Amino acid sequence: MHNKCFYFVTIMATSESVTKTIFPAQEAEVSQRDLDWAVVQKVQSGNVGAYDQLVQKYREQIFSVVYNMTSNREDASDLTQETFIKAFQAIARFKGKSSFFTWVYRIAINTTMTFLKKRSRRRFISYENIDEEVSNSEIFERLTAKNQTEKGALINELQEKLNDALQKLSLKHRTVVILHEIEGLEHAEIAEITKTSVGTVRSRLHYAKQQLQGYLKDYLG
Amino acid sequence: MSNHTHDSQKEVKVEDLLRMKRSERPDEAFWGQFDQELHQRMLQTLVKKDPVHLQIWRTLSGRFTQSVGVACAAAFLALMVVRPAFIGTGSTSVSVAQDSVVFAEAPLVEVAMSEMDVSSLEATRDYSLEGISAEIESNDASFTRDFGMEGFQLAMDADYSSDAASSRPSFGSTGVATTLVY
Repeated sequence: MHNKCFYFVTIMATSESVTKTIFPAQEAEVSQRDLDWAVVQKVQSGNVGAYDQLVQKYREQIFSVVYNMTSNREDASDLTQETFIKAFQAIARFKGKSSFFTWVYRIAINTTMTFLKKRSRRRFISYENIDEEVSNSEIFERLTAKNQTEKGALINELQEKLNDALQKLSLKHRTVVILHEIEGLEHAEIAEITKTSVGTVRSRLHYAKQQLQGYLKDYLG
Repeated sequence: MSNHTHDSQKEVKVEDLLRMKRSERPDEAFWGQFDQELHQRMLQTLVKKDPVHLQIWRTLSGRFTQSVGVACAAAFLALMVVRPAFIGTGSTSVSVAQDSVVFAEAPLVEVAMSEMDVSSLEATRDYSLEGISAEIESNDASFTRDFGMEGFQLAMDADYSSDAASSRPSFGSTGVATTLVY
């Protein structure tokens, strides 16, 4: 009997370590989810100040998504703030069925989509500055060599072309391509955020990339 | 060397261009202002009044509830106080007709029954309906059979329609007609 228990415990411990080795990302996600849920529970119990931890943790990611969807710095700032205010107002109803990260992303995307649908005309686009790291990157070196242009001019030109190309995509396709290619989210995570199937996400991603290849053909190859 | 050559010949893809946007980030000064604005907006949200349409709705619904309560109380008072007085005075024609029927019937039944007991021909002469009077004349003993459904229906068709209030007193005064109704 003792031997059986020992073997069982050994097997469980081994399988746990194997799981950790094979699925480190999932484990990290689960732990992040637990950490976020603990903070959410603090906020729900009345510790309003704890909400600031969540804002500090996710503000840059949310801003990035919203900025790439709107291509406007001021709009992105307003919408990111609005997202966190909405999440704060609704946090009492958050049951933890999904991760806080997924939930707040969904709020951000819905808020942005509503804003963009209401906005009939395209507003003046104000860009964020691209880091100097980009200008020293391998891809950028290749682009500079290919186009035989000065780095600064090429950065500005490329930034404008990229934003224009993204704005030409439909909202659904834009969202998927931003979440996957820029934010680096998995298909399953995007499906959960956008409340669609993984197949739909893959299909939209494929279509969006095809469209972008057509818009950005001068820089490709 | 071969690797370097291979890398330099590597094609630029859409994914590579899109990943460049990852570095499109605001500076620290932006985040300082962002936090300040967010805290201010959150505080405003906490102390913010409801939108105008909600305030209007709340006011109207409160007044509506009050007015409904007052109306119910008034209706109850009217039913309890005003209606008994109204019945007592008998000011309308409908109530007069109904009351006259009610008050007239009780004594007339007795009269009719007493007349039936006597079973005189004088009583049958008062009938305006030939069918009933004929049967009474021919067979006085079968009085109960004479006032069967046929006679009852005839009386109803002739005089007890709802809009024949004016003919009721004359018909009711015979006494037998009241018995027919019963």
